[in-house]
Amino acid sequence: MVVLKGEDLAKTYREGRVETPVLQGVSLELRRGEIVALEGPSGSGKTTLLQILGCILTPSSGRVEVEGRPLHGAGPRELAAVRRASLGFVFQQFNLFPSLTAQQNVEYALNLKGVRDPGAREQARALLEEVGLGDRRDYLPRDLSGGQKQRVAIARSLAGKPAILLADEPTANLDSRVGTQVLQLFRDLAKREQRALLIVTHDPNVRSVADRVLQIRDGRIPDA
Amino acid sequence: MVDLGFRMLLHDRTRFTITVSGVAFAVCLVLAQVGLFNGLMDNAALTIRKSSADLWVTSRNTANVDFPQTFPENRVDRVRSVPGVARADNLIVAYLNLALPSGAQESTIAYALKDFKAWNLPWAMKEGQVEDLRRGRNLIIDDKAQRRFGAFRTGEYREVLETRMKIVGQSTGALSFTTTPISFLDYDLAQSLQPTLLGGRTTYTLVKLAPGADPQAVKAEIQRRLPYNDVHTRDAWAAKSESYWIVNTGLGMNAYLTVFLGCLVALVVVAQTLYTSTMEHLREFGTVKAIGGSNWDIYAILARQASLAAAVGFVLGAGMAYALVPLAARADLKLLMPLPFVAVTALGTLALCLGAAMLSFRKVAGIDPGLVFRS
Repeated sequence: MVVLKGEDLAKTYREGRVETPVLQGVSLELRRGEIVALEGPSGSGKTTLLQILGCILTPSSGRVEVEGRPLHGAGPRELAAVRRASLGFVFQQFNLFPSLTAQQNVEYALNLKGVRDPGAREQARALLEEVGLGDRRDYLPRDLSGGQKQRVAIARSLAGKPAILLADEPTANLDSRVGTQVLQLFRDLAKREQRALLIVTHDPNVRSVADRVLQIRDGRIPDA
Repeated sequence: MVDLGFRMLLHDRTRFTITVSGVAFAVCLVLAQVGLFNGLMDNAALTIRKSSADLWVTSRNTANVDFPQTFPENRVDRVRSVPGVARADNLIVAYLNLALPSGAQESTIAYALKDFKAWNLPWAMKEGQVEDLRRGRNLIIDDKAQRRFGAFRTGEYREVLETRMKIVGQSTGALSFTTTPISFLDYDLAQSLQPTLLGGRTTYTLVKLAPGADPQAVKAEIQRRLPYNDVHTRDAWAAKSESYWIVNTGLGMNAYLTVFLGCLVALVVVAQTLYTSTMEHLREFGTVKAIGGSNWDIYAILARQASLAAAVGFVLGAGMAYALVPLAARADLKLLMPLPFVAVTALGTLALCLGAAMLSFRKVAGIDPGLVFRS
């Protein structure tokens, strides 16, 4: 079952009179439980594509469907609602809230998705157990290693059981060994719960966990 | 629920301290300044409010109770004949010079009546009996006068306008706006001390209404019968006495200006620190949006931070202002902070802090959640 679909997506940035096409007619589909790696050099448009699929950026043309729901013409409020309900994000910079503990970081994401205490507290605890950080729940991000921070970010992305997980260079700030562990964990969790996972990356290790690898070049995916 | 606003605010304790200090300083400034103003205004009309007179007859255009002008004392008879008047007596208020044991002279505002008890003046006695004023050349001085007159005791003598007078008691709590000490003496004695100025003349006529009498109707009738005097109800006379000082001395403007500056300082400090904090947390706010939060979720975080700064700042500021009360009392100053005024200040502080957060609201409304993808 297709949970995320991009059709003929194009994005052009305008700066004064200069127009820069970043995406040129990209189409792709993600099925439930499928793990897809999107590789490409810097400036190839992969992060722009991720933002469009993640309902953060609107395309200049083309269509996006999330869990069968077309988003054409959706406003910021509707896009935020789709992000809350269907999407989980993992970022290269982790983007954890420095003032919140690991537990609170996950719990806050659940709160935003409408889950209140005590359910939020219990779900956050369970998610941190799943990523192997049950004993680091009360640590602030500054007291966690890079790998541990990314595990918290993964737990946060899983909060609320979104159908789609989008990861932007999740191993870029980790050493190779920790990066591999994190990828394996991410794969296991996504597969177990049948989440679609799109990983934008430079890291060749990602190939080892992906069901499918797409190459993006100059804003196009030739073999999608 | 995870309180991100609270955690974020406390995470940077230095900034939180600066924000709260700004609010606390402003609150203290406003409470102390307005409290002082209230205290001075309370003194300005204290004798009017404490006396039991319902109406005051004054000389035409008398500006306030401390600046009396004389008129013939027999006009009291016309007042007494007005229907609805239960009692009317003359009151002399006059500045008299009192010689101190050191040889120096000090001023006192003397209140002179034939029957003090009937008019609740003085309203509190520390020592002695007010009836003793009728028994010779006697004087009651308010205990606050010790600061200006030096120590004195009941039974001692002082010279007033070169007349030796015995201190037969001490009142307490009688204060004037000008801080000139208040004393009380017999009406006839006051006239005998200044026969040229006060012989056959008085400065006020106090009126007590008969039960059920309409104050406005009685006032109008007295005014009709005494066209060369002014007649005021107690509240109107008190308000007129207070407004004289507010308008003519610039005291009101001074108080308003201080309140305005206090609010401005708080507004700038809170707005600046919240805005700087918002700028430093843009990535976090972007993350909130990226993971599904709306602008309203972020407004709630900022509003929570502003409310917390207001609450903590207000408590500290009010605490500081209340700590000033005994210090001010040592200088014979009153800081009056009635509960409604404190409550209004608390609400004002909250409104001000939320207003200061508006600048940050505008900033976060335009945050692009895509910024979280940038390294």
